[in-house]
Amino acid sequence: MAYIGLEVGGICQQGSGELWVRNSSAKRNSNCSEYVNRTAIGLRVKDGIVLAVEKIIHSKLLVPGANRRIQSVDRHIGMATSGFLADGRHLGNRARDEASNFRETFRMPPPLKDVVSRLSMYVQAYTLYSSVRPFGVSTIIGSVDKDGPQLYIIEPSGIAYGYHGAAVGKGRQLAKTEIEKLKLVEMSSREAVIEAARIIYLVHDDAKEKDFELEMSWIGDETNGLHLPVPKELHAEAEEKAKSALETFD
Amino acid sequence: MPDGSFASHPQERQFNPYSENGGTILAIAGADFSVIAGDTRQSEGYSIQTRYAPKVFRLTDRAVLAVNGFAADGNMFVKKVKQRLEWYRHAHAKDMPLKAIARLIQTMLYAQRFFPYYVYNILGGIEEDGSGAVYSFDPVGSYEREACRAAGAAQSLVQPFLDNQIYFKNQLAAPNQPHPVHLPLSDVLSIVIDSFTGATERHIEVGDGLEIYVVLAHGRSVQGLEGVPGVQELTTSGEGDRVFVIRRELKKD
Amino acid sequence: MTHITLTLCTNGQVITRIHLQKEYNELRTSVLALKFKDGIMMAADTLASYGSLARFKSIQRLQPVGSSTVIGASGDMSDFQYIQTLLDELTVEEFTAGDHHELGPAEIHEYLSRVMYARRSKMNPLWNSILVGGVKDGKSFLAYVDLLGTTYSASTLATGYGAYIALPLLRKAVEGREHELTEEEARKIMEESMKVLFYRDARSLNKFQIATVKESGVTISDPIILETAWGFAEGIRGYGAQTQ
Repeated sequence: MAYIGLEVGGICQQGSGELWVRNSSAKRNSNCSEYVNRTAIGLRVKDGIVLAVEKIIHSKLLVPGANRRIQSVDRHIGMATSGFLADGRHLGNRARDEASNFRETFRMPPPLKDVVSRLSMYVQAYTLYSSVRPFGVSTIIGSVDKDGPQLYIIEPSGIAYGYHGAAVGKGRQLAKTEIEKLKLVEMSSREAVIEAARIIYLVHDDAKEKDFELEMSWIGDETNGLHLPVPKELHAEAEEKAKSALETFD
Repeated sequence: MPDGSFASHPQERQFNPYSENGGTILAIAGADFSVIAGDTRQSEGYSIQTRYAPKVFRLTDRAVLAVNGFAADGNMFVKKVKQRLEWYRHAHAKDMPLKAIARLIQTMLYAQRFFPYYVYNILGGIEEDGSGAVYSFDPVGSYEREACRAAGAAQSLVQPFLDNQIYFKNQLAAPNQPHPVHLPLSDVLSIVIDSFTGATERHIEVGDGLEIYVVLAHGRSVQGLEGVPGVQELTTSGEGDRVFVIRRELKKD
Repeated sequence: MTHITLTLCTNGQVITRIHLQKEYNELRTSVLALKFKDGIMMAADTLASYGSLARFKSIQRLQPVGSSTVIGASGDMSDFQYIQTLLDELTVEEFTAGDHHELGPAEIHEYLSRVMYARRSKMNPLWNSILVGGVKDGKSFLAYVDLLGTTYSASTLATGYGAYIALPLLRKAVEGREHELTEEEARKIMEESMKVLFYRDARSLNKFQIATVKESGVTISDPIILETAWGFAEGIRGYGAQTQ
């Protein structure tokens, strides 16, 4: 049997395709197969949310920008996933369904905590039965809703907590250390984009790993409350600064 | 009221799912061509809704469909016929033959027998044997192949004119000079244009613009179309049957 | 409103009758629209009547959909609000696809006409006449759809009473000049037509809004209140203070 145990903290897929389920949440993602569990971070700042992921280019034949790991859930909600891309897409679809169902019922934009509670219940349900496997993704989900900027992580176990700064995936330990140094509550979204890019570049291990693409989105006053990709110019600027920061860091 | 009910009767707005949007269509078959035409006015009651709403549609390189009656039904019906023809193309890698389209239209109309498409259809084009053909339908699908047919608001004005000019009804042939079975294209085009200018004069729901589709059989020359102002070919291959359109203004009052 | 009445029959039996007595808040008055050089312009007053009662006097009947389309509705108010939520759900769905495509006016109109035709075919229509206008990829679009699913397109359109009173004025001013009319000229034509409508249509208000769609996007004006003069009515019997 590929599936073992009921107490679940995370899952991994080994090269053989064998599925592993363990209840250690701390070490969970670091042992997973090479290219699926890349770092994703989220920053909740003064006026908005920034999401960033390190997306490994596992083939030079890929079209630039393909296989996006950041999705929109509603106009004002975005999510980034680390783990199996297909599971991430599935959770994205579910999140969109939950958000639109909330809209239909209450005729208002869903507050993030409601979407998170519904989505995490869904994720949790997949830990309960021997007929299904849990989702192999950690999700960072962010929004600017009626209560201002909000940021959550949903674990494969179904656990969901709110954060000021979030990091999941392979480089999350280093990323968290870096995020802790930031004064998030005083930071603007624009500054956060620069910092997010820097952190992703920092946690990426150039020597060991393949090429990567930086994917970033934001929500805030600058986007009129919409979840949108970071505009080209700002993206380029952030990438530029991240690269030069990396040189001084070394 | 003594019985305790409300003075005003329970009032539920009666909904009529149909409307009439005016206009007229006609089609005439030649020996190796077919002409299908319609005006472009769309109206409701005494109001002109628009001066340009096409009622004649090219289905394939050899079939043209004219639809008249309730415009919403007409547009939906054409949309569904086109969809079925596309599916046929995907399944068989060729266009559906004209007589098969005619039978398809009957089936589709009759499927709505108890909530009909309030539409009169006239299908024109070229048969597989290369002859010009016209099929006319009633709203629930009964159909026949004819040499000519008019339908719509001015049917009662145009059909007798066609009977006279195409079938030579009430015309005595000169001795040793029998009436022709098929008219040449140029004569047919004149008859079509005269029909619509006439209908425009005498019917308030006809006017604004005229679209005449001409389908020529494979290998036929464009004789009868040369020199016609504003004629435009819609087919691109240059082989097989060809479809042309001629647009004319009609009086707008 | 549903009224339930109890009727006592001659044999003493009580019959319960349910009257479905429908009263509607109606957006009865017209919506006008025209094409001009740089796009389209649409106007509607801010009234929702309840029968002959001017029930709501500050209702917005022009609604932007996406960044290149505006719709204007007359007819039943609750049905229009339902349509608004449909379109909102649709635009959210399209937005979250994240494919950098947006529905333009032609797509919105096609969607609406499908919804309207489907509902009429279920004998449960959405009781509205709707104008859809917009500009996308340099092409301006203006079309109509109603409770029957009837659609059409023209350079000037009007719903309701406006189709009788304002449309001839609009056609005279616009037809053949769609590519010359400036925004200012278009606005003047609109204001004049709305004024005429207010004078002639009892269920209308002299407070209205104008929506403009150009390549640059949608703008909907604040409510405009037109100056009207009723001095002429003094001399007409049946108006004013005369008793005889």
